Amino acid sequence: MNALVRVLVLCCFSIGAWANEVPLEKVSVATDAITISRGAEDLMNDCHSCHTLKYIRYRDLVTFGIDKQKVDAWRGDQPMDSPLLGQLSDADAMQSFGIVPPDLSLMVKARDGGPSYVYSYLLAYHNSPDGVLENPVYPATKMPDALGIASASDAAQRTEIQGRARDIVSFMTWAADPHDAERKRLGYYVLGYLIVLTTLLYFVKNQVWGRLK
Amino acid sequence: MPGRIIKWIDQRFPLTSFVKHELTDYPTPRNLSYWWNFGFLAGVVLMLQVVTGIFLAMHYRADISLSFDSIQHIMREVNYGWLLRYMHATGASAFFFVIFVHMARTLYYGSYRAPRELLWWTGQGLLLLLMATAFMGYLLPWGQMSYWGATVITNLFQATPFFGDQIVIWLRGDYTVGDATLTRFFALHYLFPFIIIGAVVIHLVALHTVKSSNPSGINLAAKDNIPFHPYFTIKDLYGLGWFLIVYSVFVFFLPDSLIEPANNIPANPMQTPNHIVPEWYFLPFYAILRSVPNLVGGVVAMGLSVMMFAFMPFLDRSRIPGGAHFRPIYRLQFYLFLLDMLVLGYVGYTPPTNQTLLIGQIATLCYFGSFLLIPFISRIEERWLVRRGLPPAVIALMESEALTIEQRRLQHRRRGEQA
Repeated sequence: MNALVRVLVLCCFSIGAWANEVPLEKVSVATDAITISRGAEDLMNDCHSCHTLKYIRYRDLVTFGIDKQKVDAWRGDQPMDSPLLGQLSDADAMQSFGIVPPDLSLMVKARDGGPSYVYSYLLAYHNSPDGVLENPVYPATKMPDALGIASASDAAQRTEIQGRARDIVSFMTWAADPHDAERKRLGYYVLGYLIVLTTLLYFVKNQVWGRLK
Repeated sequence: MPGRIIKWIDQRFPLTSFVKHELTDYPTPRNLSYWWNFGFLAGVVLMLQVVTGIFLAMHYRADISLSFDSIQHIMREVNYGWLLRYMHATGASAFFFVIFVHMARTLYYGSYRAPRELLWWTGQGLLLLLMATAFMGYLLPWGQMSYWGATVITNLFQATPFFGDQIVIWLRGDYTVGDATLTRFFALHYLFPFIIIGAVVIHLVALHTVKSSNPSGINLAAKDNIPFHPYFTIKDLYGLGWFLIVYSVFVFFLPDSLIEPANNIPANPMQTPNHIVPEWYFLPFYAILRSVPNLVGGVVAMGLSVMMFAFMPFLDRSRIPGGAHFRPIYRLQFYLFLLDMLVLGYVGYTPPTNQTLLIGQIATLCYFGSFLLIPFISRIEERWLVRRGLPPAVIALMESEALTIEQRRLQHRRRGEQA
C-alpha cells in the first residue's frame, strides 16, 4: 500500500515535468479598463495589421469603454458592427509568411498555459550567436519579432516592452472571454445564496430528523 | 375544494396511492449515509443537462462551417449564453463524477448483490448511454479535440470482423468525420437524453421493487425503515445544496479547467494535435485501449473494461453480506482498485512513452485482475472470516439466505418431479 502511494505521489510530481518543455514566464493579467484599453491600442498598432479578431466587433470595444474616437480611427470607414478583420488578405499572407496568421480572439484560451504562454511567446524572441532570430517557446513560428524585444538592449527598453506585452495579453484575455468579470461577479452572489440556502436546509434536515426516536 | 379535486383525480388515476407508495410510505433504511445521495444528484444533473441543452440547441448550428462560430455566438452575444454553455460543459463532468461515486458506493457496500442484480444492470446500461451521449456531445463544438477525438473513436470500429471499414463509413456517414457526422451526432445527442430518462424510470422501478440497500448490508427490520418523505427528501435536498456549491465554483470560477485548450481551435482535418486526449472521465478506459498493442485486442479490452462491472454479481462468491463492511480483504481490494483507476487515468492523460506504456500495461492487468480474482479471493476470505468469527446478525442473515436458497432448490426439484 505504501509503495503504491509513493508511486502515485511521484506521478503527480512528474505531471509538471512534461506539461511544457520551455518554462513559461508567469504573467498576472490585468482586468482594469485602463490597462485593457492600452492593450487594445498596442494590439491595433503591433498585431492587427496581420492578425484578425473576428469574434470582436468595433462596437464591443466602445461598449467595454474604450475611447470612441480611438475606435473610430481604427475602424476607418468600416461600420461599427463589423468584426476586427485584418488588413492583410490570406493570399498576401501566404506569399509573405507561408501561413495565414491565426485569429487572436481565442488565442489565450487555445494554448496550454493561457495568457502566460502568449506573454512568454511575445518576449521569447532573441538573436542566436549567428544572428538568426529564434523563439524557443514556439520554434516553428513564422511571426517576426513584433514588439522588438530581440533588438532591445538596455533594461529600460526591455521593461517598457514587457509592460506592453502584458497590456496586449490583458486585452487578449478580455477578448477571449468578455463576460469573465460579469461571470465572477454573478458567481459570488450565487455562491452566497447557495451557502445560506444549504445552511437553512441543514437546520430543516436536523429538525425533520429530530422527530425520529 | 382541493380534497374534492384529488378525489376526482383518484377515481380516474392512482395519484394518492402512487404518492403514498413511492414517497410518503416508501420504506427507506434509516442508516443510509450521505453516499446514498448520489443517485438523486445524478437525476438532478440529468435534468440540468436536458434543460441547458435544449436552450443551447436553440442557438447552436450543426454545420461544420458554422458550429464553431455558433458556440462563440452563444458565449458572447446570447443573453447568459456563457452561463448555459458553461453549465452544460461542466454538467457533463459533474454527471460522470456523480455516477462514478454512485458506482463506487455500490461496489463498496455490495449493493449489486442479490436481489439487486437487475438494478445494477440497468445502471450499467445507463452508464453506456451516458458515455455515448457525452462522446457525441463532445463533437458538437467542432474544435480540434472534438474532431480528432471523434476520428480516433469511430476508427476503433474498424476492429469489427468482416465489415470493419464499412461500419466506420456507416457511422460517420462519410469517409472522414465531416458534416454528415456532425449533424447525426447532434440529432442523436438530442435524442439520447430522453432514452436515458426512460432508462432511469426502469432503474427506479427496479429500485422500488427491491428497495435500497444500506451500509450494514443486512436487511433491516421494519422498525428500522423510515418513509422516504420527508426524511430523505430533505436529506437529498441538503446534499444537493453542497453539490450545487461545488458545481457553481466550477461554473463561475474555473469553467475552462475542464475544457481542453486545443478545443478552442477550430477543427482542422489537415493538422493533428500533438497528442489527442479524451475528457477526464474516459481517461482510464482510453489508457486500457492504448495498453494493448493490437487494435482488435485494445478495443475488446476497452469494451470489456466498461462491461466488467456487470459481472460483479457473478464474480463475488462470498456469502458474507454487506460488501466491504464486514470484509477487510474486499475493502483493501476496493481501495487498490480506485488507486488503479487513478494510475490508469494518469497514463491515459500523458503522451505515450515506453515508461507510461509499461505502467499502463501493469495497471490494465491489475484492473482486470481485480475483477477476475474476486471469485477466488472472496471464497478464501469467507472461509477465513467464518473461522475468525462474525457478528451474530451476519451469521443469522447468512443462515437465513442459505435457507431461502435451499427452499428454492427444493421447490424447483418438486416442480421437476411433478412435471
